[in-house]
Amino acid sequence: MIDIQNLSRVYGQGDSATTALRDIHLRIPEGAFATIVGTSGSGKTTLLNILGGLDSAYRGEARVDGRELRALSDRERSAYRNQMVGFVFQHFALLEHLDAVQNVALPAFFAKTREPDPLRRAAEVLSRVGLGERLHSYPGQLSGGQKQRVAIARALFGRPRLILADEPTGNLDTSTGAQIISLFEKLNREDKITVVVVTHEDFLFKNVTHKVRLEDGRLVEETPC
Amino acid sequence: MLIANLARLAGQNLRRNRKNLIFASVGIVVGISSFVFFIALGAGVQRVVSTQIFPMEANRLQVVPRSVEFGGAIGGRPIDEQALSDFAAIPGVAAVYPRMRLAFLASTAVDGRDISPAAIDLLRRVPGVTPRMLEAVRDVRVWLEIMGDGIDPRLVAADAVAGEFADPPEGAPVPVLLSRRMIEIYNGSFAEARGLPKISEMLLPFLPPVPLTLNHSFISREVRGAPYPTRMKVVGLSRHALMGGITIPIETARRFNRRFAGEAAAHTYSSAVLEVSSSDWLGPVQERLRQLGFDLDLSEKRMAESVGLFITLVTLGFSLISLIIVGIAAVSIAHTFFMILYERKREIGLLRALGASRGDVRNLILAEASAIGIAAGTAGLLLGSLACLLADSLLGRFLPDFPFKPESFFAFPPWVFPGALLFALVFCWLGAMVPARRAAALDPAATLTGR
Repeated sequence: MIDIQNLSRVYGQGDSATTALRDIHLRIPEGAFATIVGTSGSGKTTLLNILGGLDSAYRGEARVDGRELRALSDRERSAYRNQMVGFVFQHFALLEHLDAVQNVALPAFFAKTREPDPLRRAAEVLSRVGLGERLHSYPGQLSGGQKQRVAIARALFGRPRLILADEPTGNLDTSTGAQIISLFEKLNREDKITVVVVTHEDFLFKNVTHKVRLEDGRLVEETPC
Repeated sequence: MLIANLARLAGQNLRRNRKNLIFASVGIVVGISSFVFFIALGAGVQRVVSTQIFPMEANRLQVVPRSVEFGGAIGGRPIDEQALSDFAAIPGVAAVYPRMRLAFLASTAVDGRDISPAAIDLLRRVPGVTPRMLEAVRDVRVWLEIMGDGIDPRLVAADAVAGEFADPPEGAPVPVLLSRRMIEIYNGSFAEARGLPKISEMLLPFLPPVPLTLNHSFISREVRGAPYPTRMKVVGLSRHALMGGITIPIETARRFNRRFAGEAAAHTYSSAVLEVSSSDWLGPVQERLRQLGFDLDLSEKRMAESVGLFITLVTLGFSLISLIIVGIAAVSIAHTFFMILYERKREIGLLRALGASRGDVRNLILAEASAIGIAAGTAGLLLGSLACLLADSLLGRFLPDFPFKPESFFAFPPWVFPGALLFALVFCWLGAMVPARRAAALDPAATLTGR
């Protein structure tokens, strides 16, 4: 599924250049549940952005499902993000002026194939993550855990094969974080979705298949579990 | 992104930022409304000039004898029966309407006290004629030298509304047409000042015949022979009628010329109006007329063109000011979009993460600008039209009567509404273009991570 070879990413030029990733080699098979751990500034989020097709200014190769992401055009990369990937962010990234259903249905605006009833599909996914009763609640009316469930539902909306989560429990208390983790594990187990989670708290994850540790942009540990 | 989705997403964003955007689009509304106002005012004034003051007919030409030029060896040909035949034979000429100037002196003397009580009684029945006006009519004393033209009745058939415009039997009043422009000046200034009734086509049937003395002058001693007293009756107003005189049927003019100025004067014409079958023939016919030794009377056309050009320039000046207002508004729109863009940076990053392409982001901003353009343009059109209606009503009510005062000062050319809307749209696009490009170029990874 994910095949990374000699991957490097440098921000800036000349004296101000900062190397975020150095010569990374990594393989994550389809259906895996991977965690990426490391200290702040170790390159975790950069790696996730590259895998998600949000950042293509890298050197080396980053293939997902056989496709070299940098070789895709902007349109193709957008379609890849829309159809193949589901993103979950630490800060939820929900739009405050939209209710839960509308937030979840946002990817439908950019889909190349028309979802017959996007709001209905959004309601189904929200029910799946346990928010069937809060379809029309606005982000301001939801707890942190509920907001992250809405974000997960949004990631699931386009039936992705890969979920990329950037510290999804970082803004949640331990108990709520555990619930969110078990939701990811359920999606991985039942829907065979490949999940890659950037986290500081890898000890919370029980059913991980791959552990990746980064330090100063270098891959220092890759452990198939 | 599908257009329906684009419209829905743009609608959501507009609703969210409506206060900022309404404020930013005020300039567009003001600019477009003033644009509509000035264009409509210019078109209204232009309409008065082209239909009332200098009415132009696209398919007609007025031919006159060529004036003698300094240095020219030969003078022009007179317009006689042969010339009329030559005109009729020119390819493309559909009809020839000759005009004949009265070649003798004539005068009129009107004393209001000589008007019969029956005629005054008839005048009293005309709506708008007040007893005070009738008093003024009774007090009228006019001595006028009369100039006159004979005209082909076919050219003015529709203008004779108060009697037949044809050569009358001996002793019957001579049917007369008066110039609409002259009557407009009389109504707007003289009638007003003297308290006399205004002359309109409705009043004409009630006007009594007035004396006309042929072969007579109050001024010149050149008159030979005895004066010939007759009467004339105004039967209509025409834009083909002579500006400072009377216009009578050409056969009557011929008869009088023969009697008072000789046989040659009965067959010499002052001008001829040529009707061409289509405007495509205007050029070839003009060329042929010059070859035949005649000139075209373009004085009215040139005057109309000069006045029209002046009005167009003034209208353009004001329209330019309106467009500058809209242009400044476009800068304000750009500023607002930049502000919104700054606030929505993370949101744009999120949309990119969810599958929006650079083009989608750019189109989203441009769609929002289009909606603002259409809404502000429509509001500007409505406001401008309302301002026209209000100004029209105020000008009609409070401006004193003057010659050629129109019923409406405004006219809306068919292009003005779509044109104004297009201006609003284009300026909003221009305002949003740079912010849209900037938004499309945002690095989604950087905006999402707050880098």
